[in-house]
Amino acid sequence: MTPTPTAPDGLGTRAGKAFAAYRAGERERLSELVDLVTPVLWNAARSQGGAPATCEDAIQTAFLQLVDRADSINEPAAVLGWLVVVVKREVWRLARGARREFGVEEVPEAPAQQLDPEAQSILSERQRVLWTHVSTLSPRCQELLRVIAFADRPDYAAIAESLGMPVGSIGPTRGRCLQKLRTTLGTDPGWAV
Amino acid sequence: MTSHTDAIDARDIANLHHVRDLFGHADPVPSDLAERIKFAITVHALHAEVAELMDSALLTTRGADAKVEPTPTDSVTFTAASVSLMVSSGPADSDDTDDADDRVRVDGWVTTPGAQIEAVTTEGSSRVISDANGRFVLDDLPHGPVHFVVTDPGNEDMRPVITPTIQI
Repeated sequence: MTPTPTAPDGLGTRAGKAFAAYRAGERERLSELVDLVTPVLWNAARSQGGAPATCEDAIQTAFLQLVDRADSINEPAAVLGWLVVVVKREVWRLARGARREFGVEEVPEAPAQQLDPEAQSILSERQRVLWTHVSTLSPRCQELLRVIAFADRPDYAAIAESLGMPVGSIGPTRGRCLQKLRTTLGTDPGWAV
Repeated sequence: MTSHTDAIDARDIANLHHVRDLFGHADPVPSDLAERIKFAITVHALHAEVAELMDSALLTTRGADAKVEPTPTDSVTFTAASVSLMVSSGPADSDDTDDADDRVRVDGWVTTPGAQIEAVTTEGSSRVISDANGRFVLDDLPHGPVHFVVTDPGNEDMRPVITPTIQI
């Protein structure tokens, strides 16, 4: 299904509008942008395996870069994707610390998602089942699904691209990652209700 | 059978909602992260000096443990190199509103007469100029987080001073 004119804007579109308004002089609209996109950015950062403090710093740095370069960003409408790219790069840069084994542009692939034991202990039974299935997916699929889950359908393709996935990985078609999740859940009698 | 080339359907969206609930529950966004980002942006954009909170650290929303609800208190003092600011909060004047309990009045004093005090709240910002004695009143603010930005319109050389966020 493609978005219709009556469909509500996706997260990316709303973020783009807030950022464009900020650039046009409505300073207070930046708060709206922060509120809108922080959950996506948090999950993009955490899905790289960074510690919470590292992820917070990476997100903060990305926003400060956005403010500094606000006028030179070519596509304000694509601000969500821009932030995702910068956050992902920043997490790797900070995690690498003083070591300089990779070029700045070279971002390794995300590891398999981890939940610490404390987090696992607070999951509901159904969430535990889901987590078991998510864990069977490839690390790339885990990263993709985790991040797009915090956005809206019209944003999936752009977010996948900013995470470095091939064009067509997801949206408007299901793509292999969502298909795998659907299949693995579908084969589990414990998941079907 | 379904294929990866099919359009995303309601079941996929439902599955993604479950994924969102899973990570949102197991690894939630820190509750004060967005506020801290906004604060950092403001400090950065203004090239501002950050004032220190001089008393009642309980007020701050920037502590390491976000689980602790900030305790509202009556009065708090901030100090920076160029200026000090004292604010106290109470219920807004209830002349003609029924919901006065929902609004907050801040009475303050700043060491610079004629300084502009901007209160940045969840609703936006309110500005006021301190009088010849440095006193000022900001009425009709919402409950919740607030930080203040002090500038001196009469002194271009003064860096803006920004306070940490407190709860009113």
